[in-house]
Amino acid sequence: MSLKRQEMWPRIASLVIVLLWAVIIIVPLAIMVSGAVKAPDELAAHPFAWPQEFHWETFVKAWTDANLMRGMRNSFILTSASLVLLVFLGASAAYPLARRSNWTPLFYFFLAGIMVPFQLAMLPLYRLMKLLHLINTYYGVIFIYTAVSLPMVIFLYTGFIKGINRELEEAALVDGAGKFRMFWQIVFPLLKPVTSTVIIMNIMSLWNDFFIVLLFLPKKEMRTLQLSIFSFVGQYNSKLNLVLAAVILSILPMITVFLLLQKHFIKGIAGGAVKG
Amino acid sequence: MQAKPPRSFLANNARWRRIFTDTMFVLPAALIFALFFAYPVISSFYLSLTKWDGLNPELKFIGLDNFVRLWTDKHFWLAFKNTFKYAFLVTVIQNALGLILALAASNKVFRGFRVLFLIPPLLSSIALGTIWKYMYAPKGIINSLLTGIGLEAYTQNWLGDPKLALYSLIATNVWKWAGMAMIIYLAGLQSIPDVIQEAASIDGVGAWQRFRHITFPLIAPAFTINVVLSMIGSLKVFDIIYIMTQGGPGRATESLTTYIFGRAFDANKFGYGTAVAVAMFAVILVLSLVQLRYLTRREVQG
Repeated sequence: MSLKRQEMWPRIASLVIVLLWAVIIIVPLAIMVSGAVKAPDELAAHPFAWPQEFHWETFVKAWTDANLMRGMRNSFILTSASLVLLVFLGASAAYPLARRSNWTPLFYFFLAGIMVPFQLAMLPLYRLMKLLHLINTYYGVIFIYTAVSLPMVIFLYTGFIKGINRELEEAALVDGAGKFRMFWQIVFPLLKPVTSTVIIMNIMSLWNDFFIVLLFLPKKEMRTLQLSIFSFVGQYNSKLNLVLAAVILSILPMITVFLLLQKHFIKGIAGGAVKG
Repeated sequence: MQAKPPRSFLANNARWRRIFTDTMFVLPAALIFALFFAYPVISSFYLSLTKWDGLNPELKFIGLDNFVRLWTDKHFWLAFKNTFKYAFLVTVIQNALGLILALAASNKVFRGFRVLFLIPPLLSSIALGTIWKYMYAPKGIINSLLTGIGLEAYTQNWLGDPKLALYSLIATNVWKWAGMAMIIYLAGLQSIPDVIQEAASIDGVGAWQRFRHITFPLIAPAFTINVVLSMIGSLKVFDIIYIMTQGGPGRATESLTTYIFGRAFDANKFGYGTAVAVAMFAVILVLSLVQLRYLTRREVQG
């Protein structure tokens, strides 16, 4: 494309806007990193200066003092188990919902869940969890995560399955495959694009969840990464460098996953949003 | 559930088997959803009519008392007002900024910047809250910066001043989510064929005119999604308030969700808390229906 005069100014404006926002994003992040590696008194005196000395040992101390290993393990268990349930239960439920019109009422039942804020379910759920003795259990939280996210997952899968040609399925059934085998062997692999959208949409909200674990998983040994950091920040609020180091360690897994799977992430976010 | 059909249904055997297999596909998801979401949601309407302390499993039915009390509860109305101010400003600013960023970063040369803009949405609330508390602290980063460039007169107690605290939280929210709004707008922009833009450009249509009459109508679906997502998300705001201000100073940043949480878990008024949640749901429902209707109608016309 040739650069006509009238095209010049929008381009310069674009560059300015992008650079300005980049600075606004980078400054807090950079200050967080430099704050973590500086000595505490240096941090207070010269927050903007380049660190005189890099105190990497702060990260080691934060890692052990905040018990981040335990936090990451617990978060990993909850997130991965919920994702597995969401993908398998969601895809399988969406299949008849997409293929048979007499299941439409159930589809709307799930769909209504998208409109309802979790806060409406929160207190009765607390009561239910107490009655079932599920507070401070992994199961309890995994079931809640699954139940809360299922409507959107089912919505995405149902929409996608409707767009798939039935011929393959019918051919497989004629060949004598059972319905379950046919679904998991023929249809499920075709759902890969939605499956990756589902995983990406939910991995962020599950890994970063604060509210649900705050309510249902308060026990120290079961703390997730987010709750470990929360209590660490509360305890050590005078030791800013330690707190910042712990926060950085806590966001690294998510940022690593994102940088590795950038393309999928961007597609997943956009795909999920546009279809939702 | 239909297990083995009786013999007289033998003729319909295939039909019953089909219903049975379909049920097996749906059942696990339906059970978990029904027990851990649908049932609590439905029972909340009953619980909002009771007095319940959260400890004692017994509920005392008190009719509409909670709602009558709610109507005259000035703390509720304050939380209501704060929540709406928050949601309205977040929705407007986040969408304007997201759209501007999408238009600015739509050129491929900015691909690396788009990745950078998606880092804040990945941060957990507690990470976000910690960073921004440090930014906003009386001797924090923003005030040091202002002092450094000679604008000492503009330093503020960003989170401690009741007049400012809510706006500081709004800014934090926008900082986090603008990149996400941008990506959704970008997806909309990329669905517009280049030919259309080029044709208009050759015809001598200016940039603003092209945006107004070509780009914007075509990204209307992305606009709808972004507005609905940011509106509903910010009406439910809890984490960053709970982490950064606990609803304070005073009740300057109390939102409906922090109020529900406080009523229930601090004051042990679970029945009343549920009534607040029901009121909040009613408002969100009406708003999202109106919004969807209004915005999708424009899409069709677009």
